[in-house]
Amino acid sequence: MRRRGALPPTLRAALESRGGKCYRHCDRPVRSRRFSSRLPGTWHVRACPSGIVSVTTYAEWTRRDPTRTARRAFRRWTVPPSLVRLRDLRIATRHGPELGRAAERELAATRPPRGVRVVYWRLYPFRARDGTERRLFACFRRTHPSPVFFASSPAAKTWGCPVCARRRASSVGRTLRRTSVRARRSRDRKVPLQ
Amino acid sequence: MTVGRPSTRPRRLTVVLAQWCPHCVPLSIRKGRRLAKRLGIPFRTLDIDRPGQERVADRLVREHGDASPDYLIPQAFLEWSDGRVQHLLTGFSEQVARTAQAWDDLFESEWLRSVREEGLR
Repeated sequence: MRRRGALPPTLRAALESRGGKCYRHCDRPVRSRRFSSRLPGTWHVRACPSGIVSVTTYAEWTRRDPTRTARRAFRRWTVPPSLVRLRDLRIATRHGPELGRAAERELAATRPPRGVRVVYWRLYPFRARDGTERRLFACFRRTHPSPVFFASSPAAKTWGCPVCARRRASSVGRTLRRTSVRARRSRDRKVPLQ
Repeated sequence: MTVGRPSTRPRRLTVVLAQWCPHCVPLSIRKGRRLAKRLGIPFRTLDIDRPGQERVADRLVREHGDASPDYLIPQAFLEWSDGRVQHLLTGFSEQVARTAQAWDDLFESEWLRSVREEGLR
């Protein structure tokens, strides 16, 4: 049984958008990555091979407007959360006839009728205080359970995910502590030999 | 999406758009014009960058369409003889090709076929 609001495979397939190129950045093909969350709908991030996000969508089969729920999730996943502004979130309703025959039939058979609501989050490139260009990146490394959205310079040499960096820093800290404990033990062991 | 009541007829097709938007010009103007022709109704565009048209467009989107503080374009609306306004389509922000596909699917839809059959009766 599906959760209320979850998209059946027919609708998921009908909403998919394959192909496309990175907009005003590298002109390389954009890839779509699907992921799920505690919300019933489906998330898609469209990003180029460098990780620069073109658009992120949240689709739910519902009559209500899921913009505010989606916004809360986006803010949880974004560093800093203030990057997620209401004016960058836009809603679209998919009724059925514009999604192909299979999706049209599936949506027409539902009572009471309800379309699919899609929330788009598009953050356009902007300039930081130092004048450098910033774009939205998404990090999907397994070190964190959900995606991390962050703004960084496309020219930056390092990946720049703040959560990965934080974890790396804290694990380095643990390693250093472990090393020092081991060193102390070995020092202790060495003492009787001297 | 429901077909209009038997006694009602489509009256006008409106597309809310902007000249700078590649999903709108020329794609949605061409497709919208074609859809209006198939339904035998007038076609109009509302440009969000023209103050007079923008007011009408904003109201149409707010009352019948996909309203956001900075809403998506294009949005297509079908007006019926009984005064109802039906939101038909919003552009697919992913890419222009996807919006083109949506228009094509609309042309091939059972919904359009039934609207046209009702109109011929």
